[in-house]
Amino acid sequence: MTSRRTILKATAFAAIPGGLALPGIARAQGQVREFRMVEAGGLSGDSIEAGYIRPFTARTGIRVIRENPNPLGKLRAMVESRSITAVLYELGSLSVAIANAANLIEPLDWTAINPEPMFEEAKLPHAFGYQYYSTIMAWRSDAKPLTSWADFWNVRDFPGKRTLPDNVTLAVPMALLADGVAPGALYPLDLRRAFRKLDQIKGSVSVWWAAGAQPPQLLKDNEVQYAASYSGRVAGQPGITISYAQGLLDLAYFVVPKGANPSEKAASMGLLHEMSVARNQAVAAEVIPYTGASPTLEALLPQARLGDFPTTSTNKAIQVLGNPEWWAQNRDAAERRWQEFKLGL
Amino acid sequence: MAMIRRMPAEFGYVLPLLLLMLALFILPIALMLARSVTQPEWTIEHYQDLIETSVYLRVLGRTLQIALITTVACALLGYPLAYWMRDLSPQRQVLAVALVVLPFWISILVRTYAWIVVLGNAGVVNRVLLDLGLVGAPVSFLYNELGVVIGTTNVLLPFLVLPLFAAMVRIDDRLMQAAESLGASRATVFRRVFFPLSLPALAAGSILVFILTFGFFITPAILGGGRVPMVANALDLLINQFARWETAAALSTVLLVVTLACFAMSRWIGARGATS
Repeated sequence: MTSRRTILKATAFAAIPGGLALPGIARAQGQVREFRMVEAGGLSGDSIEAGYIRPFTARTGIRVIRENPNPLGKLRAMVESRSITAVLYELGSLSVAIANAANLIEPLDWTAINPEPMFEEAKLPHAFGYQYYSTIMAWRSDAKPLTSWADFWNVRDFPGKRTLPDNVTLAVPMALLADGVAPGALYPLDLRRAFRKLDQIKGSVSVWWAAGAQPPQLLKDNEVQYAASYSGRVAGQPGITISYAQGLLDLAYFVVPKGANPSEKAASMGLLHEMSVARNQAVAAEVIPYTGASPTLEALLPQARLGDFPTTSTNKAIQVLGNPEWWAQNRDAAERRWQEFKLGL
Repeated sequence: MAMIRRMPAEFGYVLPLLLLMLALFILPIALMLARSVTQPEWTIEHYQDLIETSVYLRVLGRTLQIALITTVACALLGYPLAYWMRDLSPQRQVLAVALVVLPFWISILVRTYAWIVVLGNAGVVNRVLLDLGLVGAPVSFLYNELGVVIGTTNVLLPFLVLPLFAAMVRIDDRLMQAAESLGASRATVFRRVFFPLSLPALAAGSILVFILTFGFFITPAILGGGRVPMVANALDLLINQFARWETAAALSTVLLVVTLACFAMSRWIGARGATS
């Protein structure tokens, strides 16, 4: 009985000196046993585990430990305190632009990543785009179908309450598209025009949502009939119809915090490679209907619900990509204008 | 002299906690707040910026307004409750206190979402009102200031009731009996004897509720429907999304000063009340 425990203890003690010394040596030799990543959590985190970490660990033997959530503030704290506890950090496209301007992230080693074919916007020098998501129109299936943001704004012909994101970076492009600005001519954004358009609809907006879980719930509760929602929250939900028309397509990226351990960084490039493999992306998309950046992914997705995914050739063509650099430069002015607008609600 | 000699011994008892608070709480906060004047170099530009654009100060004003309404709501609901609990038998008092404390055991997020089930358009209350024909369309309890006040009052009521109840139990019954024996009516006894004696505890509980409302985050975000901007939500955005720590530090400093001013004012009013 006791002997086994004692033996285990003894081996554990014996292993300690070696165990303590090992990481240092191993790091110097580039033999990383494990590294940490910060990601968004929830189903998205599960999809990373199933789609990318599992094949990566099977191939290399390196363990990957996930942490969440992933606010930009945490990355800044990590870099400024020079204690980089995670070598990969997930950021939205705007956060990537801010982090890059603030010198918080390092260039990636694209030669080491050696990616399979990827969409161009996903291959930034300092950021790997791994997951597309979109903010799209969704409505109760018993409401009159919409085809554009102009319809969404048209409360006379499409009666019903709305919910819009409490997020200036989403609400402003929507308003401008609703006002007839061509998707290609959105940037630089005309804030004055956008807020004039927002003033028109504010009386019909019951809720300015803050959490992605809110829009589907508000639709189901019949609190609102029309919603602007993250695509993954409403795609395939019973009783909810969606359209990717004029959807605001965006990308979540992985970056390497400035000052990260070089051997860990080298090892993590292998995980990024797994993220470029279409087969792995298909596994991840089974967990959450967001998609990776492979142009050949479409053939591997479940064909019956192809319309749920943001990057199929049909859906990608009708959506609008943002301009994170513009937002990184103008976010303060836009956000203040937004707070101003909300104080007047 | 005696005091100086006595001090080190007494000081010794609080020293561990004091050091802990200083090293792990006060120092980090001070360093964070200092960023408002030290980044990128010594400057007051972040404060100038706050005053010039004024929008965040107005968000702060809105927060104070919500805090005030919540405090009044808590006082109006909490005072009669504590008064009623005072006259219960000891066993029933234990039960009543347990019921008041019960919400603390439930996550604030669950409680916030529970209000949606109860008061939403498709919620229990609206369905009953509609079925009884009392209203033609669902009443908007949520996604406005009313929703925020309902949510914050629900969470903060125990903070007012518990100290108030404790203070009321300590009020000597013989004082009221003496007043009655001198011919005062029940209303007069309450107004001239009981209420003034319970007032310090009411003030203390109210200031606690008032200050706690400043920092509310989840409740306004969910039950306010995004139309009730509160300062904690603005700070989250500045710190976590935009990484604008300097502006956030300046705004936090203003918030801290306002909070301390409110606290000082309540102490001053309390002290004046005690002397007059």
